[in-house]
Amino acid sequence: MAELTVVGKPVTRLDAHEKVTGEAIYGYDLVLPNMLYGKVLFSPKPHARIVRIDTEKAKRFPGVCAVITGEDAPWTHGESIKDKPFLAQGKVRYIGEPVAAVAAADEDTAQAALKLIEVEYEDLPAYLDPEEACKPGAIPIHEDFASYRKMEFIVARPGMPNVCEHFKLRTGDVGKGFRESELILEERYSVPIIQHAAMEPHSSHAQVDPKTGRVTIWVANDAPFRALHEMSEALGLPKEKIRFINPLQGGGFGSKGGLKVEPIAVALAYHTDGRPVRLKFNREETFISTLTRHETVLYIKSGVKKDGSICARQMTIFWGTGAYAEKSPTVCIRSSLPAPGPYRIAHVKVDGYAVYTNKPVAGSFRGYGIPQGAWACEQHMDELASRLGMDPLEFRLKNVFVEGDTSYWGEKLHAVGLKETMMKAAQAIEWGKKDQGSGVDPFGTLRANPEHSRGIERSKGLRTGKGLACIQKPTRTPTTSQAGVRVNSKGEMTVLAGTVEIGQGCNTILAQMAAEELKVPIDKVRMHPLDTDVIPFDASTTSSRSTYHMGNAVRRAAIDVREKIALMAAPMLEAKKEDLAFSEGKVCLKDQPEIFLTIGEVIRRKMGPDAVLRGDGSYTYEIGKDLDLETGHSEHASAFYMYATQAAEVLVDEETGRVRILRMSAAHDVGKAINPLNCVAQIEGGLAMGIGSALHEHLVLDNQGKVRNPSFLDYHLATSLDLPEMIPIIVECTEPEGPYGAKGLGEPGLAPTPAAIGNAVANALRVRIHDLPLTPERVFWAIQKGKTKPA
Amino acid sequence: MKKKIQLTLNGKKTILEAPAHRLLLDLLRDEIGLTGTKEGCGTGDCGACTVFLNGKPVNSCLILSGELDGAELVTIEGLKIGPELHPIQKAFIQDGGAQCGYCTPGMLMMAKALLDENPNPTEEEIRFALSGNLCRCTGYAKIIQAVQDAAKEIRQAARR
Ligand code: FES
Ligand code: FES
Repeated sequence: MAELTVVGKPVTRLDAHEKVTGEAIYGYDLVLPNMLYGKVLFSPKPHARIVRIDTEKAKRFPGVCAVITGEDAPWTHGESIKDKPFLAQGKVRYIGEPVAAVAAADEDTAQAALKLIEVEYEDLPAYLDPEEACKPGAIPIHEDFASYRKMEFIVARPGMPNVCEHFKLRTGDVGKGFRESELILEERYSVPIIQHAAMEPHSSHAQVDPKTGRVTIWVANDAPFRALHEMSEALGLPKEKIRFINPLQGGGFGSKGGLKVEPIAVALAYHTDGRPVRLKFNREETFISTLTRHETVLYIKSGVKKDGSICARQMTIFWGTGAYAEKSPTVCIRSSLPAPGPYRIAHVKVDGYAVYTNKPVAGSFRGYGIPQGAWACEQHMDELASRLGMDPLEFRLKNVFVEGDTSYWGEKLHAVGLKETMMKAAQAIEWGKKDQGSGVDPFGTLRANPEHSRGIERSKGLRTGKGLACIQKPTRTPTTSQAGVRVNSKGEMTVLAGTVEIGQGCNTILAQMAAEELKVPIDKVRMHPLDTDVIPFDASTTSSRSTYHMGNAVRRAAIDVREKIALMAAPMLEAKKEDLAFSEGKVCLKDQPEIFLTIGEVIRRKMGPDAVLRGDGSYTYEIGKDLDLETGHSEHASAFYMYATQAAEVLVDEETGRVRILRMSAAHDVGKAINPLNCVAQIEGGLAMGIGSALHEHLVLDNQGKVRNPSFLDYHLATSLDLPEMIPIIVECTEPEGPYGAKGLGEPGLAPTPAAIGNAVANALRVRIHDLPLTPERVFWAIQKGKTKPA
Repeated sequence: MKKKIQLTLNGKKTILEAPAHRLLLDLLRDEIGLTGTKEGCGTGDCGACTVFLNGKPVNSCLILSGELDGAELVTIEGLKIGPELHPIQKAFIQDGGAQCGYCTPGMLMMAKALLDENPNPTEEEIRFALSGNLCRCTGYAKIIQAVQDAAKEIRQAARR
């Protein structure tokens, strides 16, 4: 490959300037001429029949333009199951479900009108525990499940009415495997509900043109084409009648794909005579009524030999999906599949159940279920290692997937950088150094500033420990990305790509790839704003798929343009096309670079000064097939796999139960770092989120299903004081199909984090904690319990 | 009930009319049209809405318009020094301090407040000063580095 000029370089972000000056316009900032202000009335009941709704008083309130209920919006949506009404229809299924909405001249008026809506409910029994809701004979939360429109692979299970997906993996014979084992261990792990908590709350603007019936939606949605598809199916409108315009997005982490606020904004816009409606959820509303991460209960049983080989592993996983399916069926499939971990195991059995409950809706969250699986599997690995008397690293190295292995779902693996991530992550925290913590003053700079001691006072009973955990993450497969590249007669490029800049830096790396193919300076490249009327199709900005899929599409579009320029330039330079080279915005003769034309000059001469040259590119990962429904097997379950290992050194205060992370390494196999600065940023951001979910994040619900901590005061995100020294490590194990060898990186950053910390805490205390988060209270009681009953 | 408010906004004398109960954050974003100041929570818990009121950083979501007569306000749109970016803004660009960028304006205002008072902060002091400004994207490492780099730049410029 010719030498890379801009790919692989730490280019500063293209969007940084507008973000530091406050010029960047996000969805939440948008003001439309003549717009109305929307507000929503939420259900106060976890499960109830709506006996009566009276909106008359609200409708008569001065300044109110529209008041609507489920009757005015007879539509449902959902990625794989069309189970979610725009507004509750006939019944409510969780506290926080939208029941009615108002559009008014200003927010105060809309708020006042809400109070005038009367709703009468008749309570129904509520399920708050996914295991309970899963039991045979449970009362259905969705009575009409069988008649919902849904993807083919989803079937109703009469005995288990609240199960919206049951994933099965069957490899070998676990019974035989357990009989052959010399040691068997069985455990239960759990992960609570957490929330994405992107700093920009959810919002949507919508307008319906009364003359043409065309619907326009302005929303920071990370999958505008999927949203378009879902909206078109829900409304029964052709796609051409719907347009999504994407302002900037202030973070999403999986919460802003699919439809959230959009359906309500659209439903209101049908009743405002063409005036646009702005519907913003405040922070509390975002907490209770948008999306959460699945609470998960995982049972895992493993059989091993004394030499450390794993004979069999069986898992049963309950994914609490809340009141509506959202992306749960695919979360259940794609993360139950690799939940037994990246290890060679002959006999594997997994049953994953996505289960409706009367709680806020769960769906995609950065990592797509892999973090929950890793919390169980990776701690379980350490528990096995300790019973075998093996070092956890050695035990893993003996069993991990390596190049050419066939996974337990029947796929031959390539580009497996797992071992390298493991060695590097371990080394970075001086794994194996017995005198743990030596060389690291546990209080470091804290002692100099005791008032900043981040809550840990020096006291007796401080213990340190180290732990690590690894993951393998698939990506959504098969999918398609398409892109366009335009070049003007000044030699400036515009890239049209449907990947959404959600903070991950896609605009910068896609521009880098386009610049690389044409060898133009990066400051000559611009990303086109996102609008489904103009931008070519892209499946979604999810699943860490963009660098690979959209990268390939952009690259192809740029090559398409480059070929066209070469064709045009050849006669101008009196040379053959093959004898031309590109460099610094010019096309020149390979052997005589001093003979050249600028790209802009070529276009101007051939097409005139105002013309624009266009190129197109499309990429589909073709081989990916659906999994076999009975065995869960597939020869190509994922376009590529991401591998990572993280290692933590912790300090635990036995008197308070407080855990402090001293340092944490994170080694990620990215295939090829298109932009190392960006890769490090993704790893650090992922780690911070992972540490938050390990130590304090938990959306707490009371025994009625009401969220008790819907604010940043009570829902504890990691602050600048909570985070340790982070050691990001980039590993590059080339993916042959990826652009320049790249894979993906967005999600894995937080996936092994809690398990690595859990292992370090167990190493420090000799006590194992199976439930997240590791709050001081939980750790303290585990220590007390451990004192009476040593593990 | 609208009230007349006279204030200095980013160096310019401004006269406005707004209900006394209108929050400063909403006044800036919805009525004046300066949307650089962000809303993350509306309850004083995230720092995204930080602006300078009479020289001190405040959460604009906790201030009522009625309190503003005669006040001097600086928002992110007024952080530039003439046409030049402030050294903190430059350092955020250079070091990758902004990812989604939603917390960035508040973060920058808070960082400026710190450096105004303490031109040579330690890492711990920076962490402490920014602990009321939440960021869900970065893990803060790049933000802290940017503040350190900006501090160095400001100190050097003072010596030049
Ligand atoms: S919006 Fe003011 S502190 Fe969060
Ligand atoms: S950069 Fe996204 S919240 Fe800080």
